Amino acid sequence: MEEERNPNGLSRRDMLKGLITLPVLGYFANRFYVKHKSDFTQHRDRQSVFGISETTFNPVVNMAVTGERLRVGIVGYGMRGTEILRGMGYADNEWAENNMTGGKPNPVLQSFFAQDNLHIEITGVCDTFSLRAEMAQATAATKCRAGNAPQQKTPEIYPTYREMLEDNNLDAIVILTPDHWHAQIAADAALAGKHVYLEKPMCRTAEEAKMLRKIVKETGIVLQVGHQNRQQASYIKAKEIVDKNILGNISMVETFTNRNNDHGAWIRDIPGRANESNVNWKEFLGNSEWREFDPDRYFNWQKWFEYGTGPAGNQFTHEYDCVNQVLDLGIPERVTAVGSLYYFKDRRDIPDLFNAVFEYASKGLSLTYDCTLRNSKLRDKTFLGSDASMEVNVGVVVYPDRQSEKYKKYNPAEDEPLFHYHPRSNIVDATTSATSKYYHERGFGYTYHNGERIDTTYLHIKEWLQCIRNGTKPSCCVDKGFEETVTFYMSNLAYLEKRVVEWDPVRETIK
Amino acid sequence: MKQKLYSNGQVLSIVILRILTGWHLLYEGMIKVFDPGWTAAPFLNNAQGTFAALFKNIASSPLLLEIADQLNQWGLALVGLSLILGFLSRPASIGGMALLFFYYVAYPPFIGVEQGMAEGNYMIVNKNLIELFVFLLFFMFPTDRIIGLERLFYRSKNQTFTHNVKNVAAGNR
Repeated sequence: MEEERNPNGLSRRDMLKGLITLPVLGYFANRFYVKHKSDFTQHRDRQSVFGISETTFNPVVNMAVTGERLRVGIVGYGMRGTEILRGMGYADNEWAENNMTGGKPNPVLQSFFAQDNLHIEITGVCDTFSLRAEMAQATAATKCRAGNAPQQKTPEIYPTYREMLEDNNLDAIVILTPDHWHAQIAADAALAGKHVYLEKPMCRTAEEAKMLRKIVKETGIVLQVGHQNRQQASYIKAKEIVDKNILGNISMVETFTNRNNDHGAWIRDIPGRANESNVNWKEFLGNSEWREFDPDRYFNWQKWFEYGTGPAGNQFTHEYDCVNQVLDLGIPERVTAVGSLYYFKDRRDIPDLFNAVFEYASKGLSLTYDCTLRNSKLRDKTFLGSDASMEVNVGVVVYPDRQSEKYKKYNPAEDEPLFHYHPRSNIVDATTSATSKYYHERGFGYTYHNGERIDTTYLHIKEWLQCIRNGTKPSCCVDKGFEETVTFYMSNLAYLEKRVVEWDPVRETIK
Repeated sequence: MKQKLYSNGQVLSIVILRILTGWHLLYEGMIKVFDPGWTAAPFLNNAQGTFAALFKNIASSPLLLEIADQLNQWGLALVGLSLILGFLSRPASIGGMALLFFYYVAYPPFIGVEQGMAEGNYMIVNKNLIELFVFLLFFMFPTDRIIGLERLFYRSKNQTFTHNVKNVAAGNR
């Protein structure tokens, strides 16, 4: 039997089946309203409690490159050399080819091309290993330039940095040598009126740091220490969080180095072609004790205190500078350290286990550093406050303290962050939980701006060059380098002399 | 002779799936519409695989990015709405497949491609790919004229409507 139909030809059954899903939409709208309101309120509420800005931008990213063309010399071209030259906008062909996928640049190479043209020319290079000097020369004349910069003419190779400085064909130098040469070359360059970009650690000892600081201040040159994490957006955010007292009283800051391979223990390949005819061994040794040519000491110099600075100078300095830019810690009053060489029993004299405690009595906190070369667990820098703890790497995560009254109203679970920030999305997020993988991304060497990956070394060099042109102070200036060197040096002394090392801030001497 | 195209159970199964899928896309769309800070830029900039450069190019052009943002948020919302209401869900399914195709190729779960932040474990097949084929199912097995707003329009136009296997097979539904 035909169903009864209305004038449009629709039966009751048609109406029912046509409209039956509408209540689903009504239910959706209701739930959406409730959820959105609760998320929004929670988000705003936490934002207002914290009073922190939603986003963070590193001003160096958008800093305009202006001013005269600068002539730069390169002293030392080891492993870090290729990275620094890429930061300056010069990529070696091999690296560029390795970053092509299917005939097109991959995201890493695209990020390199997107760097600004820093408006520089590399006018001279030198390295005590002649093959590396030639590699630096070839890279400087590469066609593969960032920011559409034109290919430049081939720079001169100088036998040592002294001839380079004498030639007076440069405005600034980039020092990428072993640690035992840092202070001497930087001081000579400053006295010659050249600006300096100096790889970390700034110097090996407190005395060297004092001497260099004095010369830099007297000559007025611009010195930037190569702690590129100064450009990492997460530390800018972490500083804001600390400044707004979100963590309460910070009693301890923990820092770590965990590595578990030969490379991490400074066992690097020794080029087969290296010999006494192409390595300037005497120049490498400098003022250190005379020895016969020893390729292991030359290429793996980090393994000896004579040329390097151990885990403290090599790795802790990175951690320290990150914490120093957040808390403005300065130099500790007392330092203790223990360590041993247990696992890498080659001819080295640096420890492979190292634990140091840096006391800041006037600030009521201690900074700890633990290094093992036999485990690679990722442990983030952690700031332990009376109200909350903060872990910082590429991202920032703040966890409430369960004994604190301050955040009780949020009824937070102990392992759930109060909020987190990641420069990749550049939004402070108190509403959604991301996976731990996301927060704890290892951040060696890059940050994000508007979701785009950017090399922090490039930003650090860009800042230095603009400071030279504008006559301003860079973020990791000689004063910050002085604090860095004295601090790590105290821990090396404590380890080597098996004693508590104290700092006299008035006389600026170690007791 | 009248002949039902699908059994009641089959219709119910497909319609439930249609509504759930619609709910998912509508929420994904609306959450973006209501978030003033939302942009597809981070998603595009971090794309992996063969088309990574294409997505990065979209993100680097303000105009293209604006188009991508609008298409994404409103595309998701409208496809979701269409599926829940049962109105134009065949064309909406094509739109849904297109969106999911982009999401899939932007972060393809291929061996050797960095997986980034996934909440599960995937190899070649992931939830985007499955949902893409769910849309194909909706396209091949339309239910709007059985349960959905489209029934009202169609029935008022065509009073002798029947679900006829022959007609459907001939493409004349």
